[in-house]
Amino acid sequence: MASIKLYTAIFGVLMVLSTMQAALEFTGLLEEFYVPIMGVMLLLSTIKAVSVAGWYMHVFDEPRAISYLAIAAVIGVLALIAGAAYSIT
Amino acid sequence: MGENGHLPPKSNIKRWLVTTNHKDIGVLYLITSMFFLVMAGILALLIRAQMWAPGATVLDPGGYYQVATSHGFLMVFWFLSPFAFGFANYVVPLQIGADDLAFPRLNAMSYWLYLFSGVLFGISFFQGATFMGGWTMYAPLNAPAFIPNYGHVGSFAAILALVMFTGSVTIGSVNFLTTIYRMRAEGLRMRDIPLFSMSILLTVWMMLFAFAALLGALVILSSDHLLHTSYFADVDGNPSSGGSLLWTHLFWFFGHPEVYIVFFPALGAMAEIVQTFSGRRLVGRKWFVIAMALVAIQSFIVWMHHMFLTTINLPIKTIMMVTTIGISLPFDLMVFALIYTMIKGRVRWKTPFLFVLGALLIFIVGGITGVFLGAIVLDYSFRGTYWVVAHFHYVMASGAVALIGALYYWYPKITGKMYNEFLGKIHFVVAFVGFNLLYFPMFVVWETPRRMFEYSAGFTFWHRVASVGAVLFAASFVIMIYNLFMSLYSDRVVDDSPWAYTGSTEWAVPSPPPTENFPGTPSFTSGSLRFLEGPEATDGGVEGEEATPDGGQVTAAADHGEPHPDHASWWPVFAGSSALLAGIGLSGLSPSMFVWPFLFALPAFVYFVGAVGARRDGFTVLHGAFLSASFLLLAVFIALFHVTQGIITGLESAPTYFWLALAGAVLGVYTLVRLGFESFYVPEPTSSAQWPFGEVENTKLGMWTFLGSDIILFGAFIGSYVFTRFEFGWQDWWHVAHEVGGLEHHPVWPGLLNTYILLASSFTVVLALVFARRGVGTTEIGPLSVENRKLTLGFIGTTFLGACLFLLNKGIEWVDLYFHQGWTFNADIMSSTFYLTTGLHAAHVVIGMMLMLFLMVRSYTGAYQGEDEARTIEYFGLYWHFVDIVWLFLFPLFYIL
Ligand code: HEM
Ligand SMILES: [Cu+2]
Repeated sequence: MASIKLYTAIFGVLMVLSTMQAALEFTGLLEEFYVPIMGVMLLLSTIKAVSVAGWYMHVFDEPRAISYLAIAAVIGVLALIAGAAYSIT
Repeated sequence: MGENGHLPPKSNIKRWLVTTNHKDIGVLYLITSMFFLVMAGILALLIRAQMWAPGATVLDPGGYYQVATSHGFLMVFWFLSPFAFGFANYVVPLQIGADDLAFPRLNAMSYWLYLFSGVLFGISFFQGATFMGGWTMYAPLNAPAFIPNYGHVGSFAAILALVMFTGSVTIGSVNFLTTIYRMRAEGLRMRDIPLFSMSILLTVWMMLFAFAALLGALVILSSDHLLHTSYFADVDGNPSSGGSLLWTHLFWFFGHPEVYIVFFPALGAMAEIVQTFSGRRLVGRKWFVIAMALVAIQSFIVWMHHMFLTTINLPIKTIMMVTTIGISLPFDLMVFALIYTMIKGRVRWKTPFLFVLGALLIFIVGGITGVFLGAIVLDYSFRGTYWVVAHFHYVMASGAVALIGALYYWYPKITGKMYNEFLGKIHFVVAFVGFNLLYFPMFVVWETPRRMFEYSAGFTFWHRVASVGAVLFAASFVIMIYNLFMSLYSDRVVDDSPWAYTGSTEWAVPSPPPTENFPGTPSFTSGSLRFLEGPEATDGGVEGEEATPDGGQVTAAADHGEPHPDHASWWPVFAGSSALLAGIGLSGLSPSMFVWPFLFALPAFVYFVGAVGARRDGFTVLHGAFLSASFLLLAVFIALFHVTQGIITGLESAPTYFWLALAGAVLGVYTLVRLGFESFYVPEPTSSAQWPFGEVENTKLGMWTFLGSDIILFGAFIGSYVFTRFEFGWQDWWHVAHEVGGLEHHPVWPGLLNTYILLASSFTVVLALVFARRGVGTTEIGPLSVENRKLTLGFIGTTFLGACLFLLNKGIEWVDLYFHQGWTFNADIMSSTFYLTTGLHAAHVVIGMMLMLFLMVRSYTGAYQGEDEARTIEYFGLYWHFVDIVWLFLFPLFYIL
């Protein structure tokens, strides 16, 4: 069980990362470098998601099998999205 | 109700309404599914009557399409899987040495949702017309603009019935996964659980993910019906550009795993029956299990072999052809393992074995013809013909035939009586001959177009043979029903095991087993690795020479004697009936009317939480606050209703559907509140740590598995968005919404603000948990000394407030977009995906808020203070953080990119 301090620190990081995402949009870089910026954007979301899952949902303290369960579902989603998107002629 | 915990006797109808015992529920599933088998079978006979001559007119075209469609729905959804789950309910806990499933009340709820979803489907026939577009519900024939007017209500009711069924399946999957992972008897290793339980485990894994995708597809489709979004076709009847393809992706991502979902339990039963009747452990058991697991995983990457004739590109078709051929290899292994076991053992030709052998032969034909279909070029010719019909009946009905074998196999266990062996064999012969007469001609005249009744006159002979076969096949079931019914009253009493060489634990207890299953705590720690027969062998069986891990001994430990508390609950059946009422109501309501019954349920919910909570925990200020708040909310509701509908005119013009939906919604929330406050028997695992989930408690594992399915549900929505946007041209997306859809501005601010709010609310849930865990007592905050209980309550309250702000902010945003900018649900596909995906998320927020209301009244009384007590908050936190995580992706996807 982590301390309130750690939870607060994570909360701070999450807020900063979200602000960064919005800030990225305002730089207008999206116009020029759409795909790389999109990658960064989704990466930031992933970092946030893993932090919430890892610390707030205590996944880091649970048996690995819990992570595998969640990862399996995410892989399923990615398979659907990738397969469907790739199939477009 | 259930205060003393005893169930009424089985002769009492009330017993069957309130029971939560897995064996009772297993029996209910078996009987109900057989009822649907009869219903779907009659529809099948109607099909065969129509096919007696080309272009026959037994049914008019609309009637025929309804019959063919609902035959498919009923067989696949309401017969096959539930029939298998009747056995799963009955047998799995016995096989793994558990007292019951992990969540008995949820199990009852699964059953009632299943039954009432079938009732709703039945009702859809009488609402004009039920759905006509085939069980695959291809777009755009599934969209309102492509359904004749007289079929609108019934079609939507059928879709809602499927939604309800999906709910039942998801609850069931969570329950079985938790049970098999957590409730095994001590010493029973995962890899050693009997093959039937193993096949159920893999089935529920597939179910958990596949049905979530179906739910996504169905919710999207429902929204096209109810909200007039334009995923599949717009209201004017223009199919959307990627809509048809989108549907096939969503449907078959579910649909292919589904065909294994219906087959796997049969496979598991086949393995056990082959073992028992050849007196041998399955040859290559380990590889058999590995093969099943491989198939289960691979089943999610072959779905486009159903789409060879769509516009998907050649490379992906080729990939899918390869994965399809790949998936047939493990099947070969399994078939050979079964055959080889029969050859190496000494077969006893009892009825269950005959059915399994028949099923295996049939399956081989079906499998081989499936490989034809998996070849792209051949499928160009076969698609949409009777070849496909013949193929999937050979495979699916093979599963059904195997499960009939399972019925004969477990009938003595369930009833304590032996069926009539002679009649059983007659049944087999008639069924096997009838089956092949029915389906083999379909290969011969495969050029008949599927789902049509016009065919070339030259095919008439073979279609008549098929129709004769159908009558024969149907008649064989009359023999079975007669046999099983009469045998109930026979004097052929059986004891623990009527079969020699049984290897699994269900045969080590009396037939039928007592309510508490085992005389003591079952344990496998002695590792008795031999074929376990019943304590007394009944028909001279000798011990198998092969060691098997499939069984164990029942060691009597004394600590089991006390009777079960609260085994009975009315609330599951009420949950099912309220869903039925709400479903009927929803099917017939217009977009402007349908929200009101559900909005009305919110003040009702707040009222019930206050009132029921006060009765349970004693009246407190907070209960009073809830009661008053409910009246305030009611006032707001009435005001809103009056402004938009006009009270008098609104109510006067409200159709019966309105009142049904209202009744369903109110009864539904009342039921949920009562379920929440009911103190109920929960079976405890025999050992606290079990591989692979260690010490994760049942409810936590249940929550995680549920979240797993929720990931797929959101994935289906996000996937639809990504697919449609790709199809459209990723970067043109918003530009087009601006130019064509009339969207003026869609700022980042509301999204960012809501991200802040949700993250903060996640943080406060964590704090609530921290202070709940500190137990009773106080915490010093600066100069103040605050009770932990109040801190817990305070932080849940803050979270609730955060959720309110989130919705408020979203509401302001939506009002601006929808009304001021005129960017309605069906303005363009961009608006449809935006509103629906973020709307699904908002619905999750609302559900979270309802849970929080409940947590608030309970935490006020200190119910969650302490390491163990705090768990409830932890489980809620898992849900809430998950909702937060989803938003973390929706924010960039819908506001920035
Ligand atoms: C060797 C394994 C199998 C292969 C290679 C295979 C292949 C295929 C292919 C390619 C199709 C699409 C045909 C078309 O629509 O043009 C198909 C349809 C179908 N298969 Fe199989 N299959 C196999 C086993 C099974 C099993 C085990 C089941 C179920 C128990 C099953 C049930 C179905 C069903 C229900 C359809 C028709 C779906 C519809 O309504 O369009 N198949 N199969
Ligand atoms: Cu398939």
